[in-house]
Amino acid sequence: MIEFQHVTKQYGPDATALRDVSLTINKGELVFLAGPSGAGKSTLLKMIAAMERPSSGQVIVNGQDIGRLKAAGVPFLRRNLGLIFQEQRLLNDRSILANVMMPLMVTGAPRAQAEQRARAALDKVGLADRADSRPLALSGGEQQRVSIARAIVNRPQIILADEPTANLDRASAERVFDALRAFHSVGVTCVISTHDEVVLDGAARVIHLRQGALE
Amino acid sequence: MTNWFRQHGFALAAALVHVRRAPGSFLFNILVVAIALALPFMGMTLLDNVRPLSEQMSVDPEISLFIKQDVPRDQAASLATPLRELAREAKIIFVPREKALDNLKDKSGLSDVLATLGDNPLPDSYIVKLDAFRTAATGLDVDVLAEQLRLLPGVESVQIDSAWVKRLAALINILKLALMLLAATLGTVVVAVVFNTIRLQVLTQREEILVSKLIGATDTFIHRPFYYTGALLGLCAGGLALGGVALALGPLNNAIAEFARLYASEFRLAPLSAWPAAGLLALSAGLGLIGALLSVQRHLAKLN
Repeated sequence: MIEFQHVTKQYGPDATALRDVSLTINKGELVFLAGPSGAGKSTLLKMIAAMERPSSGQVIVNGQDIGRLKAAGVPFLRRNLGLIFQEQRLLNDRSILANVMMPLMVTGAPRAQAEQRARAALDKVGLADRADSRPLALSGGEQQRVSIARAIVNRPQIILADEPTANLDRASAERVFDALRAFHSVGVTCVISTHDEVVLDGAARVIHLRQGALE
Repeated sequence: MTNWFRQHGFALAAALVHVRRAPGSFLFNILVVAIALALPFMGMTLLDNVRPLSEQMSVDPEISLFIKQDVPRDQAASLATPLRELAREAKIIFVPREKALDNLKDKSGLSDVLATLGDNPLPDSYIVKLDAFRTAATGLDVDVLAEQLRLLPGVESVQIDSAWVKRLAALINILKLALMLLAATLGTVVVAVVFNTIRLQVLTQREEILVSKLIGATDTFIHRPFYYTGALLGLCAGGLALGGVALALGPLNNAIAEFARLYASEFRLAPLSAWPAAGLLALSAGLGLIGALLSVQRHLAKLN
């Protein structure tokens, strides 16, 4: 499902983010990316989402070569991905429900259907009763769960989470990881970068990166 | 097809939401664009009113032929034969000097003054109405004919009444050209204003655009609301400009009425009729759309 073949990413002659990385992530796996800051975790996730292109090597996602993917094809690739960021990137000028509906609206889904599915997604992360609130009225942990609801509302095949619990307390972090594990349990592939040692201790698969290379 | 309509409905709704967030700014931009549009719209309205007037006048041009005062009536009347030979398709009317004086008294309202003259100072005359003459372009034939008529015995002078029509037509052509240049210049101003408006919108909605890209929105989906905003701005400004021009015609007509009355005319400026007005509205919306297209292509490309 996700395959890296001798992937190198350079931002300049002296700035190499990934060095000859080769790895495979199978469908339905829950994989954690670990490593210090600047190890290349975010770059690796961005490549899966076609936010970055490899300088050399191949990145294959759902059978599509990211390096050769045309700009017009990127939105359609991303519709099968759920992206979660450290800073939630919610839009504060609209309700939580409207934020979660966005991935469906961009695909042209009817509003009623989008609203129904967005409410269901919010219910799954335990925020159904906050649908009409604005993001700024929520705690950091709740905002991150809203971003998870937005990521899963399109029923993606892959969820990519970049340090989703970095700014959260232990209790909030646990709730976020519980939600992610719940989606993995129904067959969604999850790739999560984290520094959280507690989570990494119990993980089935952890990919360690250091200075852009696999350890 | 339903999806297509839904996507456009969504884009229009998104554009209206953006307008509602900053209504003052949007209204101010409408005002600026409307001012830029009002000047060429007024010019077009004036031309639209004057053009039929000049066309109507050029349909029936006349040559007036004045007979020398000392030529007897029967000799003057006999000129009709050579006149018909020279201007076969023309309608020839003989105007005796007495009738000419009566006409002058009736039309000028100067009967008291004319009565003091004693003898009738007007000569016998002919009016040659040339049906075949249609446009100013064929005016050259009239000049040739006038020269031939001038050589007839007993003719004092020949006056071509189409000369001023030709001048009016030439003036209208100059005005049209000037108006086109003005419209092109102010059209560029409209595009520039919309370009800047959309640039500011792109900047204020930068985060929304970036998030939309990350969740799988196509460029078309992201661009479309900006296109609607640009077209909407042009359309509203066009409507305002047309309304302003129509309102301005009121006081302008008061002034024109006094002037026209001096020439025994009921001439009034009328607002543009429905189709030309609809055309100008479409043009305004089109200019707004062009401004939005250019701005979106330039500024959203930087976010890719």
